[in-house]
Amino acid sequence: MSDFKTLILLDRCKGLFEKAGMDYVQMRRILQVKLTMDGRRASTLIGKTSRSADPEELSNQFMKSLWIYAVMGVVMIPLVVMGHNLIFQMSFVFGILMFMIMTSLISDFSSVLLDVRDHTILGSKPVNVKTINMAKAIHIMIYLFFITGSLTAAPLAGALFRYGILFFLVFVLEICLMDLLIVAITALLYWLVLRFFDGEKLKDIINYVQISLTMVMAVGYQLLARVFNLVDLQIGYEAHWWHVFLFPVWFAAPFEMLFGGHRGEAIIVFSLLSVFLPLLAVWIYVRTIPSFEANLRKLSNQTARKKGRGGQWPDVLGRWICRSREEQVFFRFALGMIRKERDYKLKVYPSLGLSLIVPFIFMFNTFHSGSSWEDIRSGNSYLLLYFCGLVVPSAVMMLQYTSSPKGAWIFDTVPLRDHVPVYKGTLKACIVQLILPIFVVESIVFTLIFGVRILPDLLVILVMTLLYTVISFRLMGLEMPFTEPAQAGTQSGKAGLMLLLFLILGAMAGLHLAFRFSTSGVYVLLAVAFIANITVWKLAFRNL
Amino acid sequence: MSESNHEPIISIQGLEMNYGGKQVLKGINLDVYEGQIIGYIGPNGAGKSTTVKIMLGLVKGYSGRVRIFGKDISNGEVEYKARIGYVPEVAEMYDSLTPQEYLTFVGELYGLERRLADHKAQRLMEQFGLEEVYFNRISSLSKGMRQKVLLISSLLHNPDILFLDEPLSGLDANSVMVVKEMLANLAAEGKTIFYSSHIMEVVEKISSRIILLNEGNVVADGSFEQLQEQLHEGTLEEIFTELTGYHEHKDTAARIVSIVKEVQR
Repeated sequence: MSDFKTLILLDRCKGLFEKAGMDYVQMRRILQVKLTMDGRRASTLIGKTSRSADPEELSNQFMKSLWIYAVMGVVMIPLVVMGHNLIFQMSFVFGILMFMIMTSLISDFSSVLLDVRDHTILGSKPVNVKTINMAKAIHIMIYLFFITGSLTAAPLAGALFRYGILFFLVFVLEICLMDLLIVAITALLYWLVLRFFDGEKLKDIINYVQISLTMVMAVGYQLLARVFNLVDLQIGYEAHWWHVFLFPVWFAAPFEMLFGGHRGEAIIVFSLLSVFLPLLAVWIYVRTIPSFEANLRKLSNQTARKKGRGGQWPDVLGRWICRSREEQVFFRFALGMIRKERDYKLKVYPSLGLSLIVPFIFMFNTFHSGSSWEDIRSGNSYLLLYFCGLVVPSAVMMLQYTSSPKGAWIFDTVPLRDHVPVYKGTLKACIVQLILPIFVVESIVFTLIFGVRILPDLLVILVMTLLYTVISFRLMGLEMPFTEPAQAGTQSGKAGLMLLLFLILGAMAGLHLAFRFSTSGVYVLLAVAFIANITVWKLAFRNL
Repeated sequence: MSESNHEPIISIQGLEMNYGGKQVLKGINLDVYEGQIIGYIGPNGAGKSTTVKIMLGLVKGYSGRVRIFGKDISNGEVEYKARIGYVPEVAEMYDSLTPQEYLTFVGELYGLERRLADHKAQRLMEQFGLEEVYFNRISSLSKGMRQKVLLISSLLHNPDILFLDEPLSGLDANSVMVVKEMLANLAAEGKTIFYSSHIMEVVEKISSRIILLNEGNVVADGSFEQLQEQLHEGTLEEIFTELTGYHEHKDTAARIVSIVKEVQR
């Protein structure tokens, strides 16, 4: 266990803590252990879990993940230094900061806020409560300091050069206040969820926050270009009453007041809010700590659940699309796994969301490059629907992984004659649960845009997507579904294969475009794709 | 039993505890003396773990009086914990740490010097046959190994009282023998051991005093021989089912078998 520089720095305040009635040596030791464990935890941003047995080598993972935040910070420089509309610019900056810090706090740091082991492990030792709570608080502060520091380093430097020292100091102060507000809001959010729901629900919510963080990171790069256009906007700011609910605007208000020259009543009110509300929130949070701790126990206690929703339809659907009884069994099993396994969701749902958005981003680009709305509507842009297929390879590949690979013994002990129904059922579940919903949603939107004339084409795309799914499956050469431990680099390990699959998807779209030469071409393609589909589905499960 | 001439090391009077409207402990009275090995048994949900957690200050909001080493523990002072070792029911540990890191950490929290804690932990690991995994992560250890690490963590600081909640779970027969013998030796040294288990044969053999808890009440208290005499039953298992009023085991088993047979081939 290495000694952390942060702790050496903290040593200077030793006397202060001891005066406040804490055992500094114990607190330092707890923090050292906590920081060591953090280093061994995977960050959502990097998505890397540690495999190696050597602890020292891995203890710096968290520090490495900070680079990503620093790079994101650089992106914010233009927002700070360009333009002449401080309240807009700073609202944007604080909006981004709040989102980034809050989501990373929730996705990466929940395990710290919600660690139920502390109670048993530390509580049974001769350590007083004050020391434990202070260690927890400092732990969160250290984490926030690093995240916020690396995110804001670049914009702060930009501000210092562009506007001078005073602006810089106000910026630092507002960032600190923002951090306070974020911590208090996050903790109060957990408190609320735990108050009314059980721990599983909270884990689900955290899971969805992680998913949205990953997704926003991916889409964020697409939107970045637009942000630069926004900087040039010259709209006068007019305060509306509902701006009270936009936290970032509060934090931007002081800059407008002090450096922008607008001193409306609203601006002053917002500025005051940005100072006092965080303090109030922290005060409320401190008040709720005891009840928070009591509710934390719910995390380890299971409450009885009512019968899950879903009800009959997996049964009916299974009977409809699966021939053998074994296949139906595994169809239902896989459906449940896909819905409940948080690791699977975390890995696949972001690309699911992405494939939902990407067609529209491309359409938006064509729209931007001068084509009129009418041009688009009468054109071939609906072929962008093929981009839905982007999710297929990762969705299919992830089917073999699980967070509890040890449960796989069940496959070996039940009397299964061959494994074909396992694969078939799982693949069908994947199609029903993930691919079809995306396709249906997109098809409805596309039909609204392009009219009913594209219905035959939609049918072709559907059949092609199914074909693509089974091709992806076969080329991946999967292990038994839900049997492999989810490990680092599972996605990148097959980068070449992924590329090949994307090319195949492109080729399918190209083929479709080529068959558009006559009105009957679509129907010919449909027939061909349909037959190919049946054949490939028959062949793909041989020699598994 | 030499109850008359000593101060009790643990003294519980009128202990009651409510959890969300349900009374889990309904007035426990208990005096424990130095050198006793107490088998604290009872069905699931009888309140065994809760009693232990109250004594460790992990659960608050009880009513009644708990005195350990002659001092009331409700004043929030934590010093008495330095003389207690604890093995929780669920093997909760910081399992991304290695046994070395975890054990020295725990040792230091108990006030040991780091080098000493490390040295002691390593030698105890050796004795338990775990020297090879001293630098591996706890998460990679088997259930039995984790349990041994947990046991070591409760012993490092040479405590005067040991609270062991299911200390034998996951251990193989040989390790169970070692632990049993070790507990007997520790008790002979004057340590007090307060432990709970579901394995009646073990409790029967090693406890100098057995306390049976049912629905929040102490329903039996005495040495195995005393209980045998009072209840005219042969084994502890029989005493257990007799006192917890569970007579349906044959019917339940028969119903289970009949449900199992329902498969058609």
